[in-house]
Amino acid sequence: MKNGIAIDGLGKRYGRQWVLRDVDCAFKPGEVIMLIGPNASGKTTLIKCLLGLVRPAQGRITIGDTTITSAAAPDPSYRARIGYMPQISQFPGALTIRQLLEMMADIRGIAPGALDEELIEELGLRDQLDKRLGALSGGTRQKVSAILAFRSQPDVLVMDEPTAGLDPVTASRVLARAGRVRDAGGIVLITSHLMEEVESLADRVAYLQDGHLHFLMPVREMLEVTGAQRLAVALPRLLAQAARPAPVV
Amino acid sequence: MLKVFKYTLIDLLRNRFVLGYALLLLAIGQGLFLLEEDPMKAILSLVQVIMALVPLIALVFTVVYMYDTQEFTQLLAVQPMARRSILLGQLLAMCTAMLLAQAFGLGLPLIAHAPGSASLMLSLSGSALSVVFVVLGVLIATRLREKARGVGMALVAWLLFVLVHDALLLALLFTLSDYPIEPWIVPLAGLNPIDLARIIVMLEIDLAAMMGYSGAVYKNFFGSNMGMLIAALIMLLWTLIPGWGAIRAFQRKDL
Repeated sequence: MKNGIAIDGLGKRYGRQWVLRDVDCAFKPGEVIMLIGPNASGKTTLIKCLLGLVRPAQGRITIGDTTITSAAAPDPSYRARIGYMPQISQFPGALTIRQLLEMMADIRGIAPGALDEELIEELGLRDQLDKRLGALSGGTRQKVSAILAFRSQPDVLVMDEPTAGLDPVTASRVLARAGRVRDAGGIVLITSHLMEEVESLADRVAYLQDGHLHFLMPVREMLEVTGAQRLAVALPRLLAQAARPAPVV
Repeated sequence: MLKVFKYTLIDLLRNRFVLGYALLLLAIGQGLFLLEEDPMKAILSLVQVIMALVPLIALVFTVVYMYDTQEFTQLLAVQPMARRSILLGQLLAMCTAMLLAQAFGLGLPLIAHAPGSASLMLSLSGSALSVVFVVLGVLIATRLREKARGVGMALVAWLLFVLVHDALLLALLFTLSDYPIEPWIVPLAGLNPIDLARIIVMLEIDLAAMMGYSGAVYKNFFGSNMGMLIAALIMLLWTLIPGWGAIRAFQRKDL
């Protein structure tokens, strides 16, 4: 991916309530961004704006060469470069995993191939392909969701609490896959409350609070500035130190 | 659109609610034909049941299904596909599922016990109502965010069409009985797809006399080919206008 993602003056409000305000940042190809913040800080809204699910009230988002927030609806073909793993994986309950994979392959115009087989094997879904999605546990549905996100080798991968409900082994495999997307030049955006799980993967941390982006900082710099060894320690120290919002890097 | 349609339909045809609906219609249809010796009387009873039940089930099922698949719809909206295609695919699949359930549950007893033009007209009217109320359900679900409000609005809409409209119409006819109101009777019937469907079936069974003076006006208007064509066009408008509204709302909706 050449140009990365640029977000300029992004704002979103529901009624009179602003849930995102004046968010400016850029994500470069080949990096993992960890998006954190307290509940209702605007993380999900920012993700939904990026995915085109929510229309911003102001500002602009450009993914690669496509401005997705232009007045005219953009050609949806840009979404072929996006992989999305939502926090809650709900699928049509009467379809089987196999049918869902076929459906999504049909929609994306891709033929099921070696990567599918690799992901199915790696996430241990081989024996469950013909089970109905409505009969699967939350964790298994998350695995299906991971396959859907990774199978098209996305340039932009958005993962909302990707490890929630997954066993530790599968969680580490999913995160390793995300690392491979980064290594191939993609942009990975992860929200997670479990910082220790994601910190080894993240290149920069974006901290949102009350709809504002307080900082977007490299992980190494966060640790250096605070003298902490772990992000979970560095973050509260950084917030306590900050008399005013730190500059966006 | 066809891809969404295909897989949504596969999901719907295995849905317990759709299967239950087909069996319920079958039980009602078969039961009424077994209870009544005269098939025409059975059809008449069936008309009353179908005109109330089909819109209710179509509306409530559609609204509930749309809300229950909201997360999956989000996932579809992230795929390289226009939102219009997603909604049209889902809408067509829900219409098809309702029509198939109706063809099985209502069609079988009608074919077995009373094959003929009255049964055909009842099936066609019921099908038209299914489509109209599925579209109305989609419109409600795309415009209201909360499931409880959506289901509530669906029930209010059903009550308006089944009870309130008729009550208002009767009150109007009674109050204005001294005035020449016959030019208004037909357009007023067009305002309610359930009334329109009922009138068409009643005319086919030749029971317009049961509707008194209004029946004579309806027979005069809808009894001709042109009248039937206009009735079909009104039903089409009842599908196209809410359908257009639903697509417009879905394209602008924050998912």
